[in-house]
Amino acid sequence: MAHALREKAAISGVGDTAYTRGTTKSGLALQLEASLKAIEDAGLSPRDIDGVVPYFPGGGIAEDFIANLGLPDLTLSLFVPMGGATCVAAIQSAAMAVATGVCKNVLISVGRTGYSGARVSTRLQQFPQFALAAEFEAPIGMFAPAQLYAQGARRHMELYGTTARHFAEVAVKTREHAILNGNVVMNKPLTVEEHHASRMISDPFRLFDCSLESDGGAAIIVSAADRARDLKKPLVTIMGVAEGHPESPASIAQRPDLLDFGLTKASARGYAMAGVGPKDIDVAEIYDCFTFTVLRQLEILGFCKTGEGGPFVMDGRIGIGGELPINTHGGLLSQGHVVGLNHVIELTRQLRCEAGKAQVKEAEVGLVTGYGDMGDGSLAILRRAA
Amino acid sequence: MSTAPQPAPLPERPMPVPTRESQAYWDGLRDGKLMLQHCASCGKVRHYPRPVCPHCFSMESEFKAAPLTGKVHTWTVCHHPFNFFFKAQSPFIVALVDMDAGVRINAPLRGIAEGDLEIGQRVTLAFEPITKDITLPYFT
Repeated sequence: MAHALREKAAISGVGDTAYTRGTTKSGLALQLEASLKAIEDAGLSPRDIDGVVPYFPGGGIAEDFIANLGLPDLTLSLFVPMGGATCVAAIQSAAMAVATGVCKNVLISVGRTGYSGARVSTRLQQFPQFALAAEFEAPIGMFAPAQLYAQGARRHMELYGTTARHFAEVAVKTREHAILNGNVVMNKPLTVEEHHASRMISDPFRLFDCSLESDGGAAIIVSAADRARDLKKPLVTIMGVAEGHPESPASIAQRPDLLDFGLTKASARGYAMAGVGPKDIDVAEIYDCFTFTVLRQLEILGFCKTGEGGPFVMDGRIGIGGELPINTHGGLLSQGHVVGLNHVIELTRQLRCEAGKAQVKEAEVGLVTGYGDMGDGSLAILRRAA
Repeated sequence: MSTAPQPAPLPERPMPVPTRESQAYWDGLRDGKLMLQHCASCGKVRHYPRPVCPHCFSMESEFKAAPLTGKVHTWTVCHHPFNFFFKAQSPFIVALVDMDAGVRINAPLRGIAEGDLEIGQRVTLAFEPITKDITLPYFT
């Protein structure tokens, strides 16, 4: 029997602001600007929103959405504090809410001043999920995800022979896609040589292995599939969606297998709910906080075996026109860092055939992941149902 | 009085704030010992310190001195000092070590060149007093 939630909900609207480094707008203003665009994209009025899942911590809370959008009767206000896994995991909560009738239209949104506001090294210290890292790792100089995740990347290189050339391929292909998109922070071509010459941040991660600190907002609307069918845009349904939490979720250091993420659990459940497998995926938007994180997630998702993520991304396979185009918008590495909600927006646009120069031909089924904090994971599989 | 601009003072080292759970671990480091939390019921070791044993759910535990030896699980070399307190000592190696006691410790590794590092290499925990109450670990 099909999963009770399969294709019961849809992404009915998407919206984003300009992605920049530098803005005078507040995070809340960026979040509301993107929200209004997503609502308009769906052909709805702000008055139709009855559920909100704002990214937390940072940005607006339910009270801000009521006050600014005049929401007449908010029936659900949720936080999903899973770092970069939040936005995709929030789709699961939203799908449950609209499928059961608790809500009609749920707004998931992010507004971020990651460049013009607090930078990564100070921001993270305030998160409860980072309390263990703050007590045991920050005093020895390990603060930032770039450092904490670098140890896993180094282990993968030592065990499987993964190289900086493999990392560079992800960075270069993602940049090519960003240039096709246009609404991106990084709009100049990147070569493998430039990647290798960029300064070391935390070995093995160089500057161009790391996602951007940028300003911007993003939002999506999740509606019941039967309602979304009558809205403005082609119907994109949620076939499968899942979140997963790894062992030792607040400390990578103490995890028995450093290369095991919450996505391991989420992907099994997400594929099962969707009733499809890796071979059915036409396009994938993979959470790219680091180049290496993309390689490892491709392994976990079953596109290749463990240890083969490096060779898998070579030879044009992940480019537009390749076997598995990934991060067709430029991702967090080159478009902007709105905690991966831009990945959901891009996948929706791909499936609606609205992706412009980066359009993947005949894309019908696509996959998007989230990866957050110390390894939380989330996955959604979407389908063009129109 | 000089009006020349003064360089901004370097930030202070981020310091651990011991909790009711972790106090015995930090007291151990101060005394030159690696004190690890063991379940008083099933005996299993756990780190970082926490109130409940995830294996048998006992809330009773005791801290015991553990051997200081282990082998390298992986490492990173920190070049960009995300907190500029660490700028002067960058780049520095941080090794994640599988301690013989059965937990991992993440700490700076000194006296070994980056090019000589390999998984499985034997290292020993050492102690660097920072204040009268706080001592931080490192490996040699």
